[in-house]
Amino acid sequence: MEHTTRPSSPRLMVIDDEPTVGRRLKHVFGKIGFTIETFTNPEAAMQRLQEQPFDIVVTDLKMKGMDGMQVLAKIRAHHPRIKVILITGYAQLETATEAFRQGVFDFITKPFRLDELRQSILRAADALASGSTTGVS
Amino acid sequence: MSLLKRLQELLGGGGRRRAGPVGDSYVTFKFEKFKDVLKCNNHALELIADVGVKLSGDYVFDSHYVETAFVALSDAVLKSVHALNTVCENCYRDLYGTYDRITEHIRRIVDQREDREGPAFLKLEDITRFSYAIVGGKNRHLAQIARDLHLPVPEGFVITTRAYHDIIDFNGLRDTLDTFESLVAGGDAPPESLEAARTTLQNGLLHAKVPPPLIKALDTHLQHLRDACGQAPMRLAVRSSAREEDMDFSFAGQYKTELGVPADTAEILEAYRKVTASLFESHAVQYRCTVLQGEGQISIAVGCQKMIDAVASGVLYTDNPSQPGGDTLLIACAWGQGEAVVSGQIPTDTFTVKKFGDLEIIQRQIAVKSRGLFAKSRRGGLEYRPIPKADQKRACIRDDQVRSLARMALRLENYFKLPQDVEWVVDSSERIYILQSRPLLLKKEAQRGDALPGLLEKYEILIRDRGKIAQQGIGAGPVKVVRSTADLDDLPEGTVVVSPRDMSSLALVMDKVAAIVTEVGTPVSHMATICREFGVPCLVNVDGILDCVKEGMEVTVDVEDNRIYKGRVPELLTYRASSSLNVFQTPAFRLLRRFLHAVASLNLVDPLLEDFTLNKCETYHDILRYVHEKAVLEMINLGRDEKRLLQSHHKKTLELDIPTGIIVIDMGGGIKDNAPDSRIGLNDVACIPFKALLEGMLYPGVWHREAMNVGFRDMVTSIVNAPADSLSGQYSGHNIGILTAEYVNLSLRFGYHFNIVDAFCSDTVRNNHFYFRFVGGATDISKRSRRARMIAEILEAFNLNVQTRGDVVTSRSGNMPRGEMEHTLNILGRLIGFTRQLDVHMDNDHVVHRYVKAFLDGNYGVVHSDGAASSA
Repeated sequence: MEHTTRPSSPRLMVIDDEPTVGRRLKHVFGKIGFTIETFTNPEAAMQRLQEQPFDIVVTDLKMKGMDGMQVLAKIRAHHPRIKVILITGYAQLETATEAFRQGVFDFITKPFRLDELRQSILRAADALASGSTTGVS
Repeated sequence: MSLLKRLQELLGGGGRRRAGPVGDSYVTFKFEKFKDVLKCNNHALELIADVGVKLSGDYVFDSHYVETAFVALSDAVLKSVHALNTVCENCYRDLYGTYDRITEHIRRIVDQREDREGPAFLKLEDITRFSYAIVGGKNRHLAQIARDLHLPVPEGFVITTRAYHDIIDFNGLRDTLDTFESLVAGGDAPPESLEAARTTLQNGLLHAKVPPPLIKALDTHLQHLRDACGQAPMRLAVRSSAREEDMDFSFAGQYKTELGVPADTAEILEAYRKVTASLFESHAVQYRCTVLQGEGQISIAVGCQKMIDAVASGVLYTDNPSQPGGDTLLIACAWGQGEAVVSGQIPTDTFTVKKFGDLEIIQRQIAVKSRGLFAKSRRGGLEYRPIPKADQKRACIRDDQVRSLARMALRLENYFKLPQDVEWVVDSSERIYILQSRPLLLKKEAQRGDALPGLLEKYEILIRDRGKIAQQGIGAGPVKVVRSTADLDDLPEGTVVVSPRDMSSLALVMDKVAAIVTEVGTPVSHMATICREFGVPCLVNVDGILDCVKEGMEVTVDVEDNRIYKGRVPELLTYRASSSLNVFQTPAFRLLRRFLHAVASLNLVDPLLEDFTLNKCETYHDILRYVHEKAVLEMINLGRDEKRLLQSHHKKTLELDIPTGIIVIDMGGGIKDNAPDSRIGLNDVACIPFKALLEGMLYPGVWHREAMNVGFRDMVTSIVNAPADSLSGQYSGHNIGILTAEYVNLSLRFGYHFNIVDAFCSDTVRNNHFYFRFVGGATDISKRSRRARMIAEILEAFNLNVQTRGDVVTSRSGNMPRGEMEHTLNILGRLIGFTRQLDVHMDNDHVVHRYVKAFLDGNYGVVHSDGAASSA
């Protein structure tokens, strides 16, 4: 796997109120050198974003309190450089369209292969490295 | 909804029964319905496979998915059951009852209330996968160790989670428990409400009244244990075993264990109360709320096992924490009971042992052991006693015992697919018992986190990004190339199996392989399913793997990153021991795994065995297997219904270079469109399996045309007519083949032999099957059974599943790719030709071996050259 074009240790945040996704991603991305933090509470995650920069945020759509669309809106408003990937258990065309309109990087439906999400995250990392943004790593 | 109503909905009518069609329409009807069975079965099996691959560790899903999968699958299986009853005209009606029983069981799993049902008590040896949900993780592992690995564990029984729930209800604690669970699940409960519920439950259980039937059952179990052990006074270890099978390790030290409890009903009940109440101790609840947040409800089972009168005991780590991922294991032990070792209360002897080869002990550190922990002679509990001077400075176990322990522990590691933390004990007759085996969790620091990619750079990669994931995981060991079932004999523990293709027979060694890699294969094969069941890391369809590895070469298979490294990669093995458990621990994952167990396990393995019955069906997969087998049987019997078949308008005579006298009945696509009306040749045959068979029979040398000169009259007789002295009338008659493009059912009566071949051969692997049956007669029984043995030996040499009974040989297999099916059918064709006239030659056992060898060497002419005077 090529790492050279990417930030040396991309910072990944995962938000999902069922701890499944966070655990799985921690396992997979920790192993290939990502720094990863997981949250089951979206408010706490937003708080953390104030303290620490992240490159990519993976968030579930349906959560108690703040949902994935709100997370997306907040990040787009305050941290436009961050790539956001939305995950949902229910594929809804309108939501997907709305999410892309709001600038989501990718939209993935459960159940999904880990590799689909991995590829999506790697693409996001590549986009960050090659792209318009600066100050990564 | 009632079953009948569901059926009617599914069918858009009732169960119709056709009034006996005759001749062509009857055969066509049967065959069409047979194809329906295949179609329904395939659909259901695809659904199961689809659920199965979700468990490979390669998918992310949530709890909602399980419910969806259940609804789809229960409908699909019901359709299969009905399809069978249509083809067999309702002779398998009992299957509906079996279906209901299994569906109800699976429903309980999906609803997550399976821990409230079933028996309140279970002997350890009576625990099966269907009771895993009610015995807790620790007891489940002990049962597996005793049953699957045949390692000694102390006798005992389990008070299941069913009993726990009964006691909760009996003491009016249900509402409080529900409140407590919802507070824990919510995650933001006011501390006072949680504390109130917790103390009510803890006190309630500490002083719980036990329902009289449970007391009576406990009495009985204790009496049985006393009778079985004949040891007085007997003491028991009463241990907690939390509900979730794979989470047990997470609870280490959270719940109570009572040791040395006298085997008396009142004493055991008192210990039981303490153990169950410990579920609600303050620190345990805090642990659940912080570490296990969102993990769902927990109930508790309690194991009651005979305390072994320990001479020495201790722990064994199959991975040495001072060099994780390395090639040594570690044993620590002391005189007496092991609790003193586990809690670090006394100095211990330690042994460092090489994990491979002859288990060399590379380091011994013998401590001065002035005291040990022993059962009190009166009343319950344990006490420290001084160790005699002479024993203080000597090792508490001998070198041979160290090696025995190491061997046992490596079997545990290979079985559970992770380094193990094993508690063991040696009694006065030097017998070693396993008290517990759980995953050895290395500290997070061992994981080395983001440094891993760099650390792996120095290792040579044999394979990268090739193949498909059948089961996630990491495994290392020496390579064994497995080409046939015979290669599995004496397979060493911890082997990495490399095979040209998927093989279901690898199920036999799943308990001891480190990983499996196949050159050809698919993640939805039977083998892949079994890999997931056992957690065996498995990559399939790895093009070129056989060229990259040599027998005996050490490799590390990292399925997670789809790489195979040359040599052992300790960093990856350490990584595995420190992290990979997390992957399979989420509630949705555990639920899906239990669901899949109940759906996909196969108990009806071999249709040739006698226990291939409805009673043995325990899963949907069993039902599907049963349905398929019985449908095939129906077709086989159809092939023997000669009277009906010969009424067919579609019959044609097959004319070959050899005199077989076969009449074929084409039911669609079996014969080419442009074929002549009544007499056809080999080139007119379109049926894939029939063509393969005939090509085998016509293989040069097989049919022994040369032999014709010797006894022409006998020959002709044996070819087309049944002899007058045939043992059974069934041998007489015509040679008939029923064909379609992909199916053949062939009955051949060659003189003394009666062969049946029933085969489906297409590009859809799952539809493919063959059934071969050989019955001989006419000569004396010893000759007949020799011939049967010869056929069986030849079939076995081709790695086919064989059963021999007297002079009847049956072979049955399926789920093979088309090419392999054609090859097998070709071999069967040759065998039919080869054995046609052998009965007279079977004078002694030596001849059997000669002919087997000749056949395998392709020396088919041996029959001719032997002539009549073969008994050398």
